[in-house]
Amino acid sequence: MEMKVSEGADGVTSIMLDGRFDIAGAQQVDAQFNAVAERSKALIIDLTKVSFIASLGVRTLMMSAKSLIRRGGEMAVCGANENVEKVLRMTGFNEVAGIYPDYFSAADALRARAAEFGSRKA
Amino acid sequence: MTMGRPQMVSRDFPGTLEAASEAEAWLMSQSGALGLAPDAEFAINLCVEELFLNAVWHGRANRAKISISSESGGVRVEFVDDGAPFDPIAAPARRIRARNEDFQIGGYGTGLLQKFSRRISYNRDDGHNRLVLEFDANAG
Repeated sequence: MEMKVSEGADGVTSIMLDGRFDIAGAQQVDAQFNAVAERSKALIIDLTKVSFIASLGVRTLMMSAKSLIRRGGEMAVCGANENVEKVLRMTGFNEVAGIYPDYFSAADALRARAAEFGSRKA
Repeated sequence: MTMGRPQMVSRDFPGTLEAASEAEAWLMSQSGALGLAPDAEFAINLCVEELFLNAVWHGRANRAKISISSESGGVRVEFVDDGAPFDPIAAPARRIRARNEDFQIGGYGTGLLQKFSRRISYNRDDGHNRLVLEFDANAG
């Protein structure tokens, strides 16, 4: 599985995955994925080009979500096909990260959460 | 199922995680011949991958055999491995219930097996785990 990382000017980091998030796919991206999550505050995972996910792929996402939550960060996923979203919801991933239809709605949601968190701190 | 399609295909795999990828590729190569709809193919691939993880990672199996047969209105998958006894039906189906800093990671495979198959049965037979899963032919 291929993984591309981009850092937005608004502080949102995005990871675009391409391929099957199966045992082999999870093993390919796991270390790099966690490294990106550990240095991010707001992270969007674009699953538009992910045709399949199994529990090891969900585990990789969960590890990163946990890392972000512990540091007060947020994760969102977008573009999941119907079956991939079904797997995410069945494992309860939607309890720890938002699931959005496309990148822009995910980015809007993360920016809104960051603004809400900022105003609470102020 | 139409005339000419094989009624059953089966193959042996070594007990390695790499073999799960081989099994996925094999399943996809058989998908057309077995008349599987995309949702059924997704569900079967997902369940076979979870069974491989259980057999190899937890059960330390040396071998696994997968058999798939098309039946009227459904698909039957038999997964036999020589690993330690493990009944996924009896294992707890874990799911994250709420957002907090200490949610438990892992253990989702059992729930996915139960949710993505129509029926699942297990028995321990002559030193082997034998799981039979049934799927709808058209849906996951």
